[in-house]
Amino acid sequence: MKILVIAEQRQGKWNTTSFETLAAAQQIAKDTSSTVSALVIGKGLAGLAGELAAKSVAEVLLVEHDLLEAYTPDGYCVALSQVIAGAKPDLVLFPHTYQVRDFAPKLAAMLGKGMIGDCIGYRNEGGKLIFMRQMFQGKTAADVTFQGGAPWFASFQAGAFRADLVVAHPSGNAPVNSVKVELKAEQIRTKPLDLFKEAKSAVDLTQAPLIVAIGRGIKAPENIPQAEAVAKAMGAEIAASRPICDEGWLPMERQIGSSGQTVAPKLYLALGISGAIQHVVGMKGARTIVAINKDQNAPIFEIADYGVVGDIFEIMPALTEELQKTKQ
Amino acid sequence: MSVQREQLEADVLIVGAGPAGLACALHLANLIQKHNAGGKKPELSTENIYVLEKGREVGAHQLSGAIMNPKALAELAPDFEKTAPLDTPVTDSAALFFTEKSSFRFPITPPPFQNKGNYVVSLNKIVKWLGEKVEAAGVNVFKEFGGAQLIYERDGIGGVITEDKGVDKNGKPRDNYQPGYELRAKVTVLAEGTRGSLTKELVAKKKLDNINPQSYGIGIKELWDVQPGKIQPGYVAHTLGWPVPSSMYGGGWIYGFSNNRVSIGLVIALEYADTRFDPHAAFQTWKTHPFVKNILEDGKLVRYGAKSLPYGGWYAMPRNYFDGGLIVGDSGSFLDSQKLKGIHLAIKSGMLAAETIFEALKVGDASAKTLSSFQTKIEQSYIKKELWKVRNFHQGFAHGQLAGFFNTALQQITGGRGLVDPMRAHAGHEAYEKIDGKSAPPRFVGDGKLTFDRLTDVYHSGTRHEEDQPCHLHVVDLNVCATKCVEEYGNPCQYFCPAAVYEMVKDGAGQKLKINAANCVHCKTCDIADPYQIITWVVPEGGGGPSYEGM
Repeated sequence: MKILVIAEQRQGKWNTTSFETLAAAQQIAKDTSSTVSALVIGKGLAGLAGELAAKSVAEVLLVEHDLLEAYTPDGYCVALSQVIAGAKPDLVLFPHTYQVRDFAPKLAAMLGKGMIGDCIGYRNEGGKLIFMRQMFQGKTAADVTFQGGAPWFASFQAGAFRADLVVAHPSGNAPVNSVKVELKAEQIRTKPLDLFKEAKSAVDLTQAPLIVAIGRGIKAPENIPQAEAVAKAMGAEIAASRPICDEGWLPMERQIGSSGQTVAPKLYLALGISGAIQHVVGMKGARTIVAINKDQNAPIFEIADYGVVGDIFEIMPALTEELQKTKQ
Repeated sequence: MSVQREQLEADVLIVGAGPAGLACALHLANLIQKHNAGGKKPELSTENIYVLEKGREVGAHQLSGAIMNPKALAELAPDFEKTAPLDTPVTDSAALFFTEKSSFRFPITPPPFQNKGNYVVSLNKIVKWLGEKVEAAGVNVFKEFGGAQLIYERDGIGGVITEDKGVDKNGKPRDNYQPGYELRAKVTVLAEGTRGSLTKELVAKKKLDNINPQSYGIGIKELWDVQPGKIQPGYVAHTLGWPVPSSMYGGGWIYGFSNNRVSIGLVIALEYADTRFDPHAAFQTWKTHPFVKNILEDGKLVRYGAKSLPYGGWYAMPRNYFDGGLIVGDSGSFLDSQKLKGIHLAIKSGMLAAETIFEALKVGDASAKTLSSFQTKIEQSYIKKELWKVRNFHQGFAHGQLAGFFNTALQQITGGRGLVDPMRAHAGHEAYEKIDGKSAPPRFVGDGKLTFDRLTDVYHSGTRHEEDQPCHLHVVDLNVCATKCVEEYGNPCQYFCPAAVYEMVKDGAGQKLKINAANCVHCKTCDIADPYQIITWVVPEGGGGPSYEGM
């Protein structure tokens, strides 16, 4: 049997789960007296191909094209289907990455084949390969196998095999063979834009020394800027109790309480928050709690160090103004 | 959204890991093991029995008083007295009548309130223990998976689809999206508990209902740790009277557990006229009675919960068998409405279902015809005997407690027949009277020590749901809530929900319904008691809901 491992790189850097899949392929090859080839696809990848060639593989297929510089599902599928037609592998293995999830099922479907995704292991039953995949969130594992003829497609879950068990090439290097593929710009329907940078987590309320939190008393989203003005004047982060985030008036990451964040700032200013226990458990560790609420029986006053029974819509602008004065 | 679902096939699929579902699984596993050990054909496997449980763990959604009649458990697990977490045997059973300031103990405890030989138990602990036995027998129990859709087949069902995971508020897949599994089985057992969402759909679609619609009550419960000496372990009391108006049916319970723990609660039939009646507030008020207050004084609230229970009895029992499936436990009306006891009947119904399924697997036929032997088994067992005696009991209370006690007395001497047999029942929501412009009374406010508001209580139920998921309380037409219901009934959902899920909020000049679905304790009261029957409770993402540790 011929096994082909599709290794994954992005901008010239390996996705290291590729080597876990290579380790899996080497084990399967040993169990079934098969050969393993490895493939890398993109542009300007001679160096990476060389790294693959140092592993125990029969050959490395280097698939390069200008249109493969950036990943597109169409580009990868068109190119890989040509390579597979030429190399005729029996089993094509992928690491189960986001990129693989995107294009591999499409590639298999283009060739009229099935794919077993996200496998955690395999078994050789008299020459027939059985793959295991988790179901019910890992509570049970199902045995799955292929029907119909080769090539068969499968991907392995990250961590299912150990990359450090990849066997090095016994005599130095395997041959690296460039494979030419025909690819036209019009075959690629998606247009890759700049890669997203890891989105910076917008706010870490647990680290904020000062928090201004709003509750139902704010009444409408139009009123939130008034509270934000107080927060800005104080240099505080804005946060909220559940109903506010539930309505989508503030993002969920700003929710304080049992279903949100637990915080312990130096100062917690609660504006129009009644103080239901679900909220209180998320902020009772604050060093100083100041509460403003028009209902004098609001439970927030039981834990507040300072309480003002009053209308937040009178107090917020006045407070902002005073805070700004102190800064001048 | 068209989705491709993974398929799994089982011999038997049990929806719900409560006493009925687990008893079915365990009894069936035992029968299979014995069958295989005898070398009989066809060989069957306990691994082909699947159990689904929507809770975070087995037992998480179990709530009962509870006093358990042990007879069914003794049949299921003969060594139960040594191994089951029975808290304490009942030592004294009292029936009390409350007036606002005083209480009166009936000199002779009426038979329905006698509990000699029964045990005070935590249903949560019993079910957890049963779950362990079931898993040890090789059965697959899938926690955090609810049965969301029925797969219809022939004139019945061929399995269920579990709920989709990782769907956001707007119904769009999140990064952790996982479509529900399509689980197909030769026999599917609906053991969803009270007002099962799949059972409700199936009973309506296949017209399986009996001559009476199901009647329900709501039970609201708190577990307290009290000062030493306040209550003896094994002391159980049931209270009648204040603060439940005599036009309504309901009463309280006080059960003494070991280690100064006490279970208290109030059960109210969900068939009352006053749409502003608030069962949670009634329970809190009941706690202020001197008798209860004295027990709780200087104690600490440990846990809170609420659940509906089916009162309808024999004449409300749906046809419990159909092509490819059976209905057991509370879903199938296996509850004694007079004693309000269902655990032993749930277990027994699960066991009889297991025997029925075992026969069906052996002959390889799970048609309604083969499975109809379930009905015969029920009729020949003590289930029928117990339910038949009280077949007209609850209906006798349709016109208040006075008429109820009169009817009960007559039924006692006529073996359950009474004046009219069968006595018919109406769906509980039909009892509502319109508000006629009357303004709403102020809402109950707790003192934070003895009595609590609903949000504080909900906190003590350990309820948690994934917040970013579609609302699992489907309201057919929110306009009805904002217009017609405001005027006609004053939005009873704000009052009957014991978890403050439903709330009318200002919307311009008018009002609109806000659903705080994350508070839901899965009691199903809204699905039952909505005046227009436009609320449908469906399973939320698995793992959501209360955590009834020790309840």
